[in-house]
Amino acid sequence: MPQRYDAIVIGGGHNGLVSAAYLARAGLKTVVLERRHVLGGAAVTEEIFPGFRFSVFSYVVSLLRPEIIRELDLPRHGLDILPLDGTFTPVYQGTGRTPPKDGNGNPIGTGDYLWRVNDHGRTVRELRRWSKLDVEAYEEYGPLMVDMARFIKPILAIVPPDPASIDPRPLLPLAGLLRSFQKLTERQQAVFVQLMTMSAYDFLDQWFETDPLKATMSASGIIGTFQGVRSPGTAYVLLHHYMGEIDGAFRAWGIPKGGTGGISNAIASAARANGAEIRTEAPVARISTGRGRATGVVLESGEELEASAVLSSLDVRRTFLDLLEPGTVDDEFEAEVRRFKFRGSSGKVNMALDALPNFTALPGEGEHLRGAISISPAVDDMERAYDDAKYGRFSERPYIDIIIPTLVDPSMAPPGKHIMSCFVQYAPYNLDPSLGGWDSQREAFGDAVVKRIAEFAPDLPSKILHRNVQTPLDIERTTGLSEGNIFQGELSLEQLFFSRPVPGWARFKTPIRDLWLSGSSTHPGGGIMGANGRIAALEVLRSMRKKA
Amino acid sequence: MSGPRPETYWDAVIIGAGHNALVTAAYLGAAGRRTLVLERRERVGGAADTVQLARGIRAPGLAHTVGRLRPSIQKDLGLARHGLSLVSPDVRVFAPSPGGGALTLWADAKKTAAGLGDGHGYLQFDKRVRQLGRFLDDLGRSTPPDIKAPGFGDAMAGLKLGRSFKGLGRDGSRTVLRVLPMAIADLVAESVEDDALRGALAWRGVRFGNVGPWSAGTAAMLLLDGAGNDGGAAGETVFARGGPGALAVALASAAQAVGVEIRTSAPVVHITSRDGRATGVVLEGGEEIQARAIVSGADPKRTLLDLVDPVELGPSLGWRAGNIRTPGVVAKVNIALKKLPVFKAAPGDESLLRGRIVVAPGIDAMERAFDATKYGRWSEQPILEATIPSLTDPSLVEGAKAGTHVMSVIAQYAPYDLADPGGAAGDTALRGPGGWDGRREDLGDTVVAALEAVAPGIAKLVSHRQVLTPVDLEQQYSLSGGHPLHAEQGLDQFFVWRPLLGHARYRIALERLYLCGSGAHPGGGITGGPGQNAAREILKDLSRRS
Repeated sequence: MPQRYDAIVIGGGHNGLVSAAYLARAGLKTVVLERRHVLGGAAVTEEIFPGFRFSVFSYVVSLLRPEIIRELDLPRHGLDILPLDGTFTPVYQGTGRTPPKDGNGNPIGTGDYLWRVNDHGRTVRELRRWSKLDVEAYEEYGPLMVDMARFIKPILAIVPPDPASIDPRPLLPLAGLLRSFQKLTERQQAVFVQLMTMSAYDFLDQWFETDPLKATMSASGIIGTFQGVRSPGTAYVLLHHYMGEIDGAFRAWGIPKGGTGGISNAIASAARANGAEIRTEAPVARISTGRGRATGVVLESGEELEASAVLSSLDVRRTFLDLLEPGTVDDEFEAEVRRFKFRGSSGKVNMALDALPNFTALPGEGEHLRGAISISPAVDDMERAYDDAKYGRFSERPYIDIIIPTLVDPSMAPPGKHIMSCFVQYAPYNLDPSLGGWDSQREAFGDAVVKRIAEFAPDLPSKILHRNVQTPLDIERTTGLSEGNIFQGELSLEQLFFSRPVPGWARFKTPIRDLWLSGSSTHPGGGIMGANGRIAALEVLRSMRKKA
Repeated sequence: MSGPRPETYWDAVIIGAGHNALVTAAYLGAAGRRTLVLERRERVGGAADTVQLARGIRAPGLAHTVGRLRPSIQKDLGLARHGLSLVSPDVRVFAPSPGGGALTLWADAKKTAAGLGDGHGYLQFDKRVRQLGRFLDDLGRSTPPDIKAPGFGDAMAGLKLGRSFKGLGRDGSRTVLRVLPMAIADLVAESVEDDALRGALAWRGVRFGNVGPWSAGTAAMLLLDGAGNDGGAAGETVFARGGPGALAVALASAAQAVGVEIRTSAPVVHITSRDGRATGVVLEGGEEIQARAIVSGADPKRTLLDLVDPVELGPSLGWRAGNIRTPGVVAKVNIALKKLPVFKAAPGDESLLRGRIVVAPGIDAMERAFDATKYGRWSEQPILEATIPSLTDPSLVEGAKAGTHVMSVIAQYAPYDLADPGGAAGDTALRGPGGWDGRREDLGDTVVAALEAVAPGIAKLVSHRQVLTPVDLEQQYSLSGGHPLHAEQGLDQFFVWRPLLGHARYRIALERLYLCGSGAHPGGGITGGPGQNAAREILKDLSRRS
């Protein structure tokens, strides 16, 4: 006799766990089934090398929804987010500006860097070194973006309407958004439209002239996408930076204590406290269906589970092409699923360090190492890195976002040692066939990353104890994310809102009754937000109430 | 108003005599409005231009086909009566590849499909372009709604558009929203497999734009190109007999027939205004002309930054106008040929060369051509769209030696801002339009070399050559940034926000100031669309005020 549940959640990533926590909280008998031995999906902490613990994939948090933190009482379950302060961008030798002076009148470093911190006054002083015009622009830009973020934030909690449907009710939340749009000034409206349509570079170019500033800021527009900083549609992600809230503080972002696995564990703990059952090493082989509805799942072990609702937090391709018998959904829907673009474009290099690296532009173990270190010295460099990927090669001189978590959370490594997390773009999932595939290119890619950082911190190679390279193929193999796309599908304009993941099916429901999607393939997309898992669970609960 | 009106009284004065401005003028004149057109150059037409390349040899100056012109304009203005004669060759596109192969796209999609390896995919793509194009045509004919204070008219227009949207059907309406922001490379890949065919089809998605086939929003550009005409997947290929300038002459004649006065060699240097209201224009010689409506056919950037008083404009709108994107990436090369060139893929068959000859050999090849512009270089292997209009219109070469032909080549990509070849990588300080001095003919050589790859021997046939870089286009045609579409046709400059949000309803910046050119919705190309829409709105305002 198969075990019976009210709800089964496939996948124990952060969204799956959030869904389970909400369902269990509403009294549903809920089980989460995770394939791996560890919970979290792409938000996991693992001890890759003895004594060194890494956020293997996803590494920072800025968008975890405050309502989730509140409603699930995550701090009580161990969530602790440590702030990351600032972004340090080293630039090529001789391309910087006159270095600032310390209290004794001695120059600080060579000046070949751009360093922004949360302290507004300090950032403005630093920017003045580069451009007085940019200082003025920066003063105007920040508040404007905060206004934009305030305006757009409600959309993260909306269930997208189907524009082709004649039912007007789902359009109501949009009417509210339209009203608040009308309340913006004309210039704010215009800027908002630009954010939704322009390239990150074109958008920023309206304000700023400092090249490394534009390069570094526009970098946040391309994270996780197969787009360049000059590609239309990348400006919108700039807003994400301003939407991020930790405990209500706009713009702040940070790293979870204990790595991103810390978030997953906190959510899992909340789910368990609400009564959810969580099983690891329980890979689902397929979703059982009957008479057009989902009835449960079959594990790879052969064990069968039954449920009134099945939620898949896997991406849309895995869910419909791997877990369902062929022919369960109609051809048209299947064609749409196949059309959904993944195109993983990023890799990750995790390093265990004997000691901290020295950056030529600003030697020593200063504060600049405690935030993000962005290898984005020029806009053209960013764009060339993308060009490589377009033609099937990993970037020879990639964009890299570096974090040294041990400086804010020493528990991640043995005393005195460090870990360094390098998010790298671009690493296209589909390499040119002449390169022979990722398994033969993995270390060459890792070498390219180290070499690139060493352009600015020449002593880095001598400080590396261990190196772990995650190519998009590795990300796919380990986490199950199709093509290694960290957002469960490209965040391109045609795959957002009511078109995510399939036009007409953006409301978490699927053509198979009682089968729901709750992962990042749905609105509002990827990142450690949890919004998808939460809204999906609430939609499931709403539909159950309707039935009852 | 009361009392006799002064002799110099004008209802509308129109700046520029490009094709859109002439369309606006003709509609205003037909409605009985006293209209004056002021053209900087000695002839009308703007980018719809026929130039003298050499004695007895005439060539299309910038645009070379006119098949997007709205049928309703041709009919309303009786252009055939005014001398417009159109030629529509059966072959739309001949797309040779340097490897020696070629694709041919015919007016008849079925005939095209029969000759392609992937005929089924082609037909599917053709059907989709036509279906979605119909909706975009409806969109293109409507005035963008007023989102700040929507009125009854906006509601009605919205309902009409809504009906058109619903008319697409459930799947069609979902599709249009999904497709518009897409990259054209992805859209063509949904239907066809063959890379050469993908390239030939994708070309219209990037034509005249600072975008590559992988750029978002290029699908919308292609659909707009096919909106309101019989282009379909192949796109239109229609010539005006006598060159595109003949269309302008017909439009001018139609306008004059309804009382419009057209003055050439009359450059406007300033728009006068008082208390936020445009009152007239000032000519270069100092002459002032007042009118009840001031209509600019110039591009929006030039209109707002060069002609309007900056104080009246204000800093916020001034900033926005300065940021209208006009990155010209197109060069025009016009060539006189001693005899017809032979294309590798069409030996001895001149009938294949009567349409547009498109050299866009594949998606990656196009994208690589685009890459160059990002770093301030022109493409070593540019994408070309060439026509040989003398094949169907011998009048263009009637004064030349027998056998002479004229070829018009749109070459992409050549950026307005050229990096200094001696500058260090990433050194942007040396960039600028001045970079083109002394390098114009190098670009011409690059284009001819690209032609040589598909038509060996063509270089030796060239008797005259005219190379127009984006800087030349800016200077000769008054196009900001040398952009033939007046403003980039991107998702950020579309419909309700073309050219600027809050100024997309043909009324721009000042009361009684209007925009009627390609910088307004529905955008660039020889469609007459902005001109026709603008006339409708101007007439509405004029009758409301009188």
